[in-house]
Amino acid sequence: MKPLDIIRFAGRAATGYPTRTLLMLLAMAIGVGSVVILSALGEGARRYVIGEFSALGTNLLIVLPGRSETVGGPPPLLGITPRDMTIGDAAALTASSAIRYVAPISVGAAPVSYRALERETTVLGSTADLFPIRQLEMAQGRFLPPGDPERGSAVCVLGHKLKQELFGSAPALGETVRIGDYRYRIIGILSQKGQSVGLDMSDIVVVPVASAQTLFNNPALFRIMIEARDRDAISRAREAVIRIIRDRHEGEDDITVITQDAVLATFDRIFAALTLTVAGIAAISLAVAGILIMNVMLIAVSQRKAEVGLLKAIGTPAGRITTLFMAESAILSLIGAVLGLLIATLAIWILARIFPQFPIAAPLWALAAAVGVALGTGLIFGVLPARRAARLDPVQALARR
Amino acid sequence: MLLGDLVRLSINSLLSQRLRSLLTLLGIGVGITSVVLLTSIGEGVHRFTLDEFTQFGSNLVAVNPGRTTTAGVSGALINTVRPLTFADEEAIKRLPGVTGTVSVVQGNAAVSFGKRIRRTTVLGTGPAVGEVWRMGVAIGRFLPDDEPRSARSFTVLGSKVADELFRDSSPLGRFVRIGDERYRVIGVMESKGQMLGFDLDDAVYIPTSRAMAMFNLEGLMEIDVLYREGLASRSIAERVKKVLIDRHGSEDFTITTQDEMLKVLGSVLDILTLAVGGLGAISLLVGGVGILTIMTIAVHERTPEIGLLRAIGADRRQIMLLFLGEAVVLAGIGGLAGLLTGAGIAWLLTTFLPALPTHTPWQYALYAELLAATIGLLAGILPAAHAARLHPVEALRTE
Repeated sequence: MKPLDIIRFAGRAATGYPTRTLLMLLAMAIGVGSVVILSALGEGARRYVIGEFSALGTNLLIVLPGRSETVGGPPPLLGITPRDMTIGDAAALTASSAIRYVAPISVGAAPVSYRALERETTVLGSTADLFPIRQLEMAQGRFLPPGDPERGSAVCVLGHKLKQELFGSAPALGETVRIGDYRYRIIGILSQKGQSVGLDMSDIVVVPVASAQTLFNNPALFRIMIEARDRDAISRAREAVIRIIRDRHEGEDDITVITQDAVLATFDRIFAALTLTVAGIAAISLAVAGILIMNVMLIAVSQRKAEVGLLKAIGTPAGRITTLFMAESAILSLIGAVLGLLIATLAIWILARIFPQFPIAAPLWALAAAVGVALGTGLIFGVLPARRAARLDPVQALARR
Repeated sequence: MLLGDLVRLSINSLLSQRLRSLLTLLGIGVGITSVVLLTSIGEGVHRFTLDEFTQFGSNLVAVNPGRTTTAGVSGALINTVRPLTFADEEAIKRLPGVTGTVSVVQGNAAVSFGKRIRRTTVLGTGPAVGEVWRMGVAIGRFLPDDEPRSARSFTVLGSKVADELFRDSSPLGRFVRIGDERYRVIGVMESKGQMLGFDLDDAVYIPTSRAMAMFNLEGLMEIDVLYREGLASRSIAERVKKVLIDRHGSEDFTITTQDEMLKVLGSVLDILTLAVGGLGAISLLVGGVGILTIMTIAVHERTPEIGLLRAIGADRRQIMLLFLGEAVVLAGIGGLAGLLTGAGIAWLLTTFLPALPTHTPWQYALYAELLAATIGLLAGILPAAHAARLHPVEALRTE
């Protein structure tokens, strides 16, 4: 019997009972479809988060004050230390050749007012280097001017949303706002780049770091953001930061340096695990579909006893009959899997239309794995019925009734 | 046909096709198992998280400086132009219904004793920690009730810090250096373990005013307010809000009540449990398709039997009931088996992996069983209706 004959035989058996065959295909399609859709959702979430992090800038290092001895725990997010991390520390970091930009950051909350309007806003103190590091864009005017970071001038840059809240559509450039007890001249408006992880960059006001320290009466920095010269320089930059700060802090290691790569890798792992789990749970339904195929194939074998008897009577070996039935269940699960893929592709396409900003896409491995598992289930659950068919005694089978 | 006959007929026909019935049961059983197991894990995580949060007591209201209008980390925890002060705390303490307050400042510093140094979390707190946060001291006592602005330099160590710095000797009465100041150890806290990744034992407690001086801060990071049992959190929050607005002139602080936080957290976790259960339900759906398939085949095979039943006077409704009953019994038994397996695996998980808490609530079990029966019913309707519509003469002739 040629392979084509086997396929034709299986096809005719399947079309003989259209309802039953359709239902089996449906079961398989639901399983494969849900595995593919769910892993596509997981993959989309992963890409979304990683995209968000990359929007923060590339080759980033973040220096936090304070260090916790416990390894693997979260870094001290509110790391306030007896010895402050200062603007001088940040300025000293520029000495390293591995470091391209250094932006000291001081953060706080203060009311920002213009005439009668007032809004409690996050105030970010930084330097001109923040602009390239965070990959900001200006809508109007310019960013903080470069110069000695120790000297604060009374200028500020407003986030897009804050400008809308305080000024509406009126021009804001050149106007003066009051932040806390000080007055600042507006020299620029950030473009509407939206919010990135943790901080809404549109509802914010940026002032020179020295001005922020005066405003909050606190010489300590909250973070230092550093951009390494390139990807290979990240580890050198990290060592340089630790060494320079240790020298300045009388030999004490009281800072934590986290690299963006490390954070990204962690998120990558978490999301990969999550996607695998979700897809795995959905794959249970493939097993259920496999049980169904086995059940129906068993019924088919007992219904087609006469046919099998005839095949045996004309000299078909047992192995060939096993192949026949195995092929039938394999073909059924394959067609089911293809149907499932079609359904999933359609669903993903619709989802992508509804949520265009969410990068949903089925990873290739998920497609391959879903079809592979479907085929595997069909074969595994096809073994029992096929062997039962092969073991039939031709005389008994033919003599039924 | 009596109900008893109906049941007997269903069971007989199921028993006559043992392997087939067993496989169908297995399909539904696997589905129910995954639903029960996943919701058990979800519910377990739910309880675990709520326990973690309520171990500090549930009658808490937290006041933070700065007004957060958007979600996310407020910069006000670090710096703010309108700090919270001890005077604010005292004003809150005088409110009716308030039984205690704790002012909090948190930072990170090196703690050293002799040659041993450990960098750890430094919590500047008021004396009422034991009462407000429900934490006890293992040995010694907690910080005394000094005048908050000029508290003496005493410290209480977290159990891990005490172990690391003092090993086996008693730390009571010894002096440690925290930052660059000397503190006398007057107590060691009971081990409290981790809370959501934050190790509570790896911390030292010093008076708030001293922590503010050490970290060069103008204001408090948080005031935790404990109120009397039975009072509504909202009314306390309103009172605190009013008194602080009177003092500050405007609402430049954020009040979080434990109730609200728990409610939000609870609903998030509920959605999560539901979502995970929904994932498991995909298998259940496939199991339902399985029942549909098998019942379709059964009706087809038993057409002569149906013809006979109709010929001796069974009406359409009874035929319908017969097949529906069969489907529901199949699904019901499968559901029960799945329920037992799921709960069993959940129990095993809890026994062998205590870190993964599970909990099988009985109403979920009931829902799962009902769900299985409903699926059987739905899957049975089409084949049963088909069977009921068969013409008796035609049906008998198929033989």
